[in-house]
Amino acid sequence: MFFHLFYYKLISFLKTAVDKRAVSVVRALASFLVFLGFAYSAYTFAFAATRFLLEHTRTGLYLYHTFISMLLFVLFIAVNLGNIIVSYSTLYRSSEVNFLLTKPVSFTTIFALKFFDNFFYSSTTLFVVAFMALYGYGSYFGYPWYLFAGIMLFVLIPFMFLSACLAVLVLMAIMKLAGKIGFRKVMAGLFALYFFFIYLFFDSSNPVTLVEKINRYYPNVDAYFLHTAPGILEYLPNHWVAQCLFYVARGDVVHALPYAGFLLAVTIAAFSILIYVADRYYYRSWLVSLEVQSATRKIYDQAHRHFMDFRSRSIFPSQIEVMIKKEFFSFIREASQWIHLVVMIILTGLFAVSVSNINLNLHVMDVQMLTYLVMFVFGGFMVSSLALRFVFPMIGLEGQTFWALRSSPMNGRKIFLIKFLLGFALILPIAEYIAIASNIPFMSLPALRPLLLWSGVFTAFWMSLTMVAFNLGFGGFFANYLERNPIRAASSQGATLTFLATLLYLIAVVTSILIPVSAYFETLFRFKLLDRNLFLIAGVLIAVLSSFLSFIGFLIGHRSIRRDF
Amino acid sequence: MEETNRSLPKTDPLMIQIQDVTKKFGSFTAVDKLSLIIPKGEFFGFLGPNGAGKTTTIKMIVGLFAPTSGGIRVNGWDIVKQPMEAKQSLAYVPDVPFLYEKLTGREFLYFIGGLFKIPKPVLKNRIDELIDHFEIGSWVDRRTEDYSQGMKQRTTIAAALLHTPQSIIIDEPMIGLDPRSAKIVRETLREQSQSGVSILMSTHSLPVAEELCDRIGIINEGKLVFCDTREQLQRDKLRYDGKFESVFLEVTKQ
Repeated sequence: MFFHLFYYKLISFLKTAVDKRAVSVVRALASFLVFLGFAYSAYTFAFAATRFLLEHTRTGLYLYHTFISMLLFVLFIAVNLGNIIVSYSTLYRSSEVNFLLTKPVSFTTIFALKFFDNFFYSSTTLFVVAFMALYGYGSYFGYPWYLFAGIMLFVLIPFMFLSACLAVLVLMAIMKLAGKIGFRKVMAGLFALYFFFIYLFFDSSNPVTLVEKINRYYPNVDAYFLHTAPGILEYLPNHWVAQCLFYVARGDVVHALPYAGFLLAVTIAAFSILIYVADRYYYRSWLVSLEVQSATRKIYDQAHRHFMDFRSRSIFPSQIEVMIKKEFFSFIREASQWIHLVVMIILTGLFAVSVSNINLNLHVMDVQMLTYLVMFVFGGFMVSSLALRFVFPMIGLEGQTFWALRSSPMNGRKIFLIKFLLGFALILPIAEYIAIASNIPFMSLPALRPLLLWSGVFTAFWMSLTMVAFNLGFGGFFANYLERNPIRAASSQGATLTFLATLLYLIAVVTSILIPVSAYFETLFRFKLLDRNLFLIAGVLIAVLSSFLSFIGFLIGHRSIRRDF
Repeated sequence: MEETNRSLPKTDPLMIQIQDVTKKFGSFTAVDKLSLIIPKGEFFGFLGPNGAGKTTTIKMIVGLFAPTSGGIRVNGWDIVKQPMEAKQSLAYVPDVPFLYEKLTGREFLYFIGGLFKIPKPVLKNRIDELIDHFEIGSWVDRRTEDYSQGMKQRTTIAAALLHTPQSIIIDEPMIGLDPRSAKIVRETLREQSQSGVSILMSTHSLPVAEELCDRIGIINEGKLVFCDTREQLQRDKLRYDGKFESVFLEVTKQ
């Protein structure tokens, strides 16, 4: 039965994907080219970063893999949290599940079908990125082809699969508890638990401490770190993957195999437990989800009027007022939206607090400049992710109710502008906060400090503007009005393409600031005279590029709003 | 298309005027050179088999689809060139009443009222009036995601009447309505028509069309194949077995 259903899902997918119309062919070709460009960029970046860190900054092999382990931990948590949120929609609120439950199909089959659908739908891009990063990393060490295939199939995919299995197990536990003590309490407890674990991890393997230790022991850091790995890391899958990669990189495949084997065994065990639990509990938890949903139903009290109430007067013209209120209520009454925003804001806050506390006491120019650029890129990456997650779906989430706006006397430009301003109001403060926080470690040098700070603030403004306009515009262009899940919308093919395009923009911005930032650090460490015009030129370049891309975003978004609906 | 628009005759502005409208989706022609005029106060029934082009025509009238060629005027305004003015004078009720799920019915009504720039005090009174009229007060303050199809339909029709439109375009209004709600909707539409509002109603229900409409048009494969008054329809029926169904089946025969 599973394969029968899978076959028809595949046919349905292929019929949607293989569209012979000229527009679709051009779009698919463009998508392919962007993917190709991004895949190549991921490869080049991984290759160059590996070479730079191992050769130029003389980061040792072990330390380098400690960094990889931290990145893998972030990836594990991201896949895990993402799967919890998306799985709730696919397993408990899907019309396909409702349909299949009325047919003679076992609950386990339905569960397995939706689980795989969910995993492959949301992780395809991650597979491509992971493979190309692996290819770039492995090319540096000159790996043969079968080693790439082996690591991908038996290490990286099981690693992500394990994360997804644990996510769904956690979700079913949430549903069981929610039936007893209420959904909100369970979610609050779960988030507290997650942040406790994240705190524990970074407390034992803190990037801030890591950077500080690098500064203290540089350049003989690898030997130091080889013997200082905290014991708790031994039990985490990201550590097994990093260790496996470390031994393979040393050419010691025999020592790598136990880590890969252990990871594989744990993944198979987790999947078996998942299927066992689903077999016993999925349908019951589905029934609980109905109770949870009905428990949130309530009659809104008409006696109390707050300032966002539709009946309250507003300083805005009526069309703008009702649009803002509609967007506000649609956001805060959708758990997957506000919970995800809270999580991302907390993570951004943690990042900002961490980087602002870095004590850069080593006077080595390359390390300081690299730290600055890494933080800049990471900050840009976070802004880009936020824009993708919350701005990209804004037009598509109008859904089939878009008829109400489209048939009203409100023009498309105004609809787009209001959505743009709301997205911008969300992203800009976060971007500026990150920009200021990541400049704090570099503010101990009084003579020049405002320059780097103001440059960061300026760039954050233009980056926010562009990311919002671009995501909103392309979100409209790729809008699937049938998709009601914002997370699935933000991980669709169109969203991935948009994300890749914004990453290319981010690379262009980093390239623009490379020369002035390099000149800045040379002034600090080598006492060369700083030509401030370099910052001016970079600023103009960023402003022109950002304006152009924002205009493209506006144009495409505006046209998409006027399309046949 | 511009040529066609320029040639549109000047007529009573309070009406719907469709002239030589064609809508193509790739090589498929959904609506083929359709021309139709609905004068002020007329209740026009728009019938046809599934896929005949009814909803496509309606979506063009309300500005959700752009015609491939031809012109549409709503109450004197060209829907393509003056969409804001045309939409301000128009009300649309879609075939499937999708509402913003996270808003309550009352909030949705306020939302629509705001889009049509109705002043708050007027809007409040109008909403209270419509809530009473459509008997939706007991659940209007619940989120619309909890509504049944009929509840959504009644809320959508109430929203359409908020700004006292000059024309109403309504697609399949009776789907999902219980007999009492259906009666309220029928009576409301008849009252609107009598007060001078022109109505274009798409329906599959032949008895409803016969009961309510002053004139009935049948579209098949994108072409208007039948268009007559209710009185003429009675005479047409006698040519068959006295049933409207037989007339319908005959004119839509492949």
